[in-house]
Amino acid sequence: MRRNLPSESAVPGVMGVVMDFMYYGDILVVDLEAGTTEEVEIDEAWEAGPVLPAALELFDKHAQDDPLLFGSGILTGTTAPASCLGFALGASPITGGPAVAPLNLFAGAEMKLSGFSMVLIKGNSPGPVYLWLHDGVADLVDASRITGKDTWQTCDAVRDEMGEQLIQVISIGPVGEAKSDLASFSINYWGSGDNAALGALMGAKNLKAVALRGLGMIDAEDPEEFYNRTMGLLPGLPSEKSFDWAFEGLGEGGLDAWLGPLVHRYRSCFACPCACNTFVKYNEDPAVMGSDGVQEPGLMVTNPAAALWLGQGGWSPEGASRAMEAMARAGVDVVRGSREISAEPLEAPGEIAAAVEALTGPAEAAWPPGEGPAEGGIFGPWTPPSSSGDRWLEVNRAAYVLGVCPLFLAASGVEREDLLELCVPAAGIKLDAGGIKEMFDRARA
Amino acid sequence: MRVKVKPLECTGCALCELACGYHRDEAFSMISSSVMLYRAEEKKGYMGVIVKTAEDLFIGKPEGAAAMKLGELQKEGASGGASAKPILVREACDMCESAGLEPQCVAICPQKALYLE
Repeated sequence: MRRNLPSESAVPGVMGVVMDFMYYGDILVVDLEAGTTEEVEIDEAWEAGPVLPAALELFDKHAQDDPLLFGSGILTGTTAPASCLGFALGASPITGGPAVAPLNLFAGAEMKLSGFSMVLIKGNSPGPVYLWLHDGVADLVDASRITGKDTWQTCDAVRDEMGEQLIQVISIGPVGEAKSDLASFSINYWGSGDNAALGALMGAKNLKAVALRGLGMIDAEDPEEFYNRTMGLLPGLPSEKSFDWAFEGLGEGGLDAWLGPLVHRYRSCFACPCACNTFVKYNEDPAVMGSDGVQEPGLMVTNPAAALWLGQGGWSPEGASRAMEAMARAGVDVVRGSREISAEPLEAPGEIAAAVEALTGPAEAAWPPGEGPAEGGIFGPWTPPSSSGDRWLEVNRAAYVLGVCPLFLAASGVEREDLLELCVPAAGIKLDAGGIKEMFDRARA
Repeated sequence: MRVKVKPLECTGCALCELACGYHRDEAFSMISSSVMLYRAEEKKGYMGVIVKTAEDLFIGKPEGAAAMKLGELQKEGASGGASAKPILVREACDMCESAGLEPQCVAICPQKALYLE
C-alpha cells in the first residue's frame, strides 16, 4: 500500500500540487446508497493536495450527494508537536454550509495511517451501517445490532466485533440517529469538538460509526531533516498537564482546582507535549490506579468549554462530570448541551440523565462571534477562542492544513513559521500564512 | 543502563513510539517500536508503557513498574499488549546504538516519563 513517488519541487501553496509524501493510499469514495466503495487515485482525481482546502473543493464538487469527508493534515501522525489533528467536513444542519469538526485524541493519526488519504462518503444508506477502515481496506458493516445504542456501547461493540481494542471509533448515539441539531459524534467514549451537528448528518446517512485502525507508515521527503527539526522544536515547548495553561478558568484556582478532587490522570492527544484531557473518577476513588476495580469509573473531560459552562453555572464537579458523560454517551454536543443546562445545577444521577435526555434549544448556541452561521464560517467553538474571531479563524486555517491542534497552536507559544517550515522536509512544500488564506479563499470561492 | 518508565508521569502522547519507529524505519508508524503504550483499557483511564529488551520487558503500570523476564511472560501466555503487533514479537531495544544516538524515546518524551538507569 505504500506509495513512494518522486516529489514535485517545492512551490508556494499546495493547490495544484500532488503530494507524494506524508500520505499513502488513495481517496476512498463510499456510496452509501449503492453500498459500494471505490478508490480514486490522487494523481488522477485530486490535484489540490490532501488537506482541508482540497476537501472543501470536493465538498462543492459532490454537493448534490450531501458529502461527508474525513481526512488529515500534512503533518498529522508524525513527531511534529501536537500533530494529532484530522478533520470531518460536511454540511452543518446548523449553518447550512460546510463545517469542520476536529478529529483529535488518536483519531486523526489513525485516519492518516488507515491507508486512505481522504474519505468521501456520498448519499444515504438504506439501512444502518458503519464504515470500517483498516490498512487500506474499507468495509461497510451492517450496524443493525448497534442501532439505538449509545456511543460507549457502540465503541465497545465495534472493538469487540473487530477484535482490536485500539480501534478509534467515531460514532453517534441516539441523538444523532434522531438527527437532532444538538447531535455530535463522539470519539471513542468521549465528547468531540463536533459543534456543527455533523453527528446529525451521520444520522441522516444511516452511518452509525466510522472505525479507524492503521498499521501503515508515513514517509517524509527528507526524513532525517524532518525528524531532527521536530526534535529541535520540543525543548522550547510547554509540557503542561491540565487545562489552565491554555484557558481562562473559573476565577481563583481555575478549572483545574474545581475538578481537582476528582482528577485521576491527565492525557495527551497524539504527539502533543501538553495534556489537556483530564480523566476524572466519580464512581471510584480517583487515587485507585489499578484496572481491576470499577469497569466505568468516570470520564475523560475533553471539552473544557463544556466544563466552564457548567462550572460557571454553579454545578459541582461531580454533577458536571456526570452530565458530560451522559451527553457524550447520548451523542449530544457536550459544549452546546452544557450551555443549555448550565443554569440549573443538578446532583442526582437520575435527574441529570433526564435533563440530558430532554435537551433542546438553539443549536447555534456557543458558536464563536465572527465565525457563526450568518458569516458562513466553517470552524466551530471546539475550544474557547483565546482572542478575536479573526485570530481564531487564522489559527484554525493553519491548524487544519498542518494537522496540528489549534489550541496548541494558539496557546503554546510555538512559532507557526517553524511548523510551516516543517512542510518542506515533510512534503517538499513551502507554506506561509498568506498562502494558506489564499488556499481557503480559492476553495470557498 | 536501560530505559525505564515512570508510568504516572506518562500522558500517553505516543511520541516515544513514533521516535522508536522512526529509528527502525526512517518513517512514522505505530507498529515497529520497542516501546509501546498500553492503552487498551481506555474507558478506565488505565494506561502504561512497556519497553522490550532482549531479555525482558520493563512494564510501567500505574500501580508500579518492574521488569519481567521474557520466558516468564511466555509461560503465562502473555501477548504483551492489545496492539495488532504485540510487543513480544517486536525487535528489542538497542538503546539506539545502531544510529549512534541517545535513546530517542527518552529524548523525545515531553514529560520525562522515560529515563535511563
